[in-house]
Amino acid sequence: MILSIYNFTSLTDKFHNFLSTHLSDGIVLTTELIVAGLLVITFVAVLAMVLIYLERKVAAYMQLRLGPNRVGIYGTGQVVADVLKLVLKEGITPDGADKLMFNLAPYVVLSTCMMALAPIAFGNGLVLWDLNIGVLYITSITSLGVIGILIAGWSSNNKYSMLGAMRSGAQIVSYELSAGLCIISIVVLSGSMQISEIVNSQTDGWWIFKGHIPVIIAFVIFIIAATAELNRAPFDLAEAESELTAGFHTEYSGMKFAMFFLAEYINMFVLCAMAATLFLGGWMPLHIGHWTAFNNVMDYIPSPLWFFGKTFFIIFIIMWFRWTFPRLRVDQLLDLEWKYLLPISMVNLLAIALMNILGWHF
Amino acid sequence: MTAYQIWFYIIASMILGGALLAVTARKIFRAAIALLVSLIGIAALYYWMHYEFIAAVQTIVYVGGIVVLIIFSIFLTHNPGHTIEEPVSIREAFAFTGCFAGFAFVFSLLNRYSFEQTGDGLNHTMQVADVGRALLSTGSGSYLLPFEAVSLLLLAAMVGCIVIAIKIRTK
Amino acid sequence: MTLGNYFENIYKGLKSLAAGMRLTGLYFVRRGDSLTQEYPNNRGTLKLAERFRGEVVMPHNESNEHRCTGCTACELACPNGSIKILTKFIINEEGKKKKAIDTFVYHLDTCTMCNLCIISCPSDAIIMANNFEHSVFDRTKLLKVLNKPESKIMAGVE
Repeated sequence: MILSIYNFTSLTDKFHNFLSTHLSDGIVLTTELIVAGLLVITFVAVLAMVLIYLERKVAAYMQLRLGPNRVGIYGTGQVVADVLKLVLKEGITPDGADKLMFNLAPYVVLSTCMMALAPIAFGNGLVLWDLNIGVLYITSITSLGVIGILIAGWSSNNKYSMLGAMRSGAQIVSYELSAGLCIISIVVLSGSMQISEIVNSQTDGWWIFKGHIPVIIAFVIFIIAATAELNRAPFDLAEAESELTAGFHTEYSGMKFAMFFLAEYINMFVLCAMAATLFLGGWMPLHIGHWTAFNNVMDYIPSPLWFFGKTFFIIFIIMWFRWTFPRLRVDQLLDLEWKYLLPISMVNLLAIALMNILGWHF
Repeated sequence: MTAYQIWFYIIASMILGGALLAVTARKIFRAAIALLVSLIGIAALYYWMHYEFIAAVQTIVYVGGIVVLIIFSIFLTHNPGHTIEEPVSIREAFAFTGCFAGFAFVFSLLNRYSFEQTGDGLNHTMQVADVGRALLSTGSGSYLLPFEAVSLLLLAAMVGCIVIAIKIRTK
Repeated sequence: MTLGNYFENIYKGLKSLAAGMRLTGLYFVRRGDSLTQEYPNNRGTLKLAERFRGEVVMPHNESNEHRCTGCTACELACPNGSIKILTKFIINEEGKKKKAIDTFVYHLDTCTMCNLCIISCPSDAIIMANNFEHSVFDRTKLLKVLNKPESKIMAGVE
């Protein structure tokens, strides 16, 4: 199989074996944890810069503007300049705030979203922790992010922050349901929660092509629910500028604000990577049934390229949403979830289970 | 002491420290966050023991569900920034006695029970499919009856919610 | 709400969302109609609308003649006193004493570009120019004299 050309398992195995020959078991684990942590932090910093640049360019192009174009080639240096500005800014803690909680909140938000990166397969064998409940783990970790937002909102001692945090919490908790049901529908089809098995189940075609209309419906609902979970426009009631100044991070400045910003973009990446893995085959190249020649040609494109291509495609769609649609009202937001997305995804899950039992998918 | 043991003690101190802070914190919101730390520690302990499924469920249900619910109710009912005054010392004494009695009871039970090693330590993996099969089968070591009983309980809770929330049209 | 209505709502909602996304998608792809002017770079080709109000100027013709009679209508019309006209009496060819402007003082720093002076001028002596790059290091440079030295009133303007 040509897939093995770009298999990263040997690389990670070599590193593991090298450590194992010199150190004891537990210390190997600890060392690997530290290395993985450093890699994740680097990855997160680079990724957030790329995403922020992309977001500004996409926004500009959709609004008939040019976007950042002064610092560096095509404005690429703008992000670096912004980061430098945020690092140098003073981090102000308001007088009436609960100091400990106020300073803790950004770390909670950022660390939870970095934890969610662990089981994501970036390429063939390029995964930090391929645990057997991968998708459930990601769901559980993303539900932790709410806590950080609630801490931030409460400890700022500001009614806008508080209202923003409450709205954000309610929104994330309710949209998690339909996102979860869409995830389960793919778990039903692939028969596993392990990310590597979900990817392997798409060797002969991605689920969005194999699964007929129900999977397409699940994909659309997942994208909508993911946008809502991210608190991005059109679901940005939690930080509605015109009503709440900036929502839960109103009082934050400098690096602490940057951490919230970073967390927002990493969360976006995690959810889009989830969508890409579940519905578009993760790092799996485009395979069509038994066309071996075609499949072999596709295998020559390295698997991380496939993964990042798909993920950035979905990120682009979510950005497209943001710069097209106006903000929802609270009642419309709740209507959409409880009257439309949740019932539809429930019926859809039943349809997918039926399809799976009768073997109607390819 | 191996690195695994060090990890265990770090996690255990996180659980115990969180629990201690939860009962001693003078601000109700901080107590809720300390409880959260303790519950995350328990999830971490499950991950440490390679029971990933239980750990993830612990995170979703207790941390993502119950603590969020507690925080929301604190937001809505109490004045969360309010510092609670020190309790009366006689009450504190009673609470200590009660806690000590409970601890002594549990400790004596644990001391008498001899734990047998059933698996081969750290090198086992827990498949989710096995959990699912055990939950929905009827043989020995399976949980169909409790599963159905729980679903009945949840149904009753749902009906109760609807009864509370329903608008009765009066003429 | 009937079941038919429910599905109709979904269909209509999706259709309107698709319409919006189609438009922004088109904007994203078509790069030609970007509205942004890359200002300091396109200084040479910058085209401003004719109605743009940058500053008040007094046009002079080739023989250094303007159309201002010194009637001070603009000075009276100016809401914040940005115009000050100093007049003098000159003797024309017929030997008559006649009023004419000595200096037309214009305070650019207090001008709000309201255009009232241009409207009130009976002889169309002053107009609004397009120039908008007014920044200077010294405030006194914003105090301008609009009539050029040695300039005279155009023949036939009363």
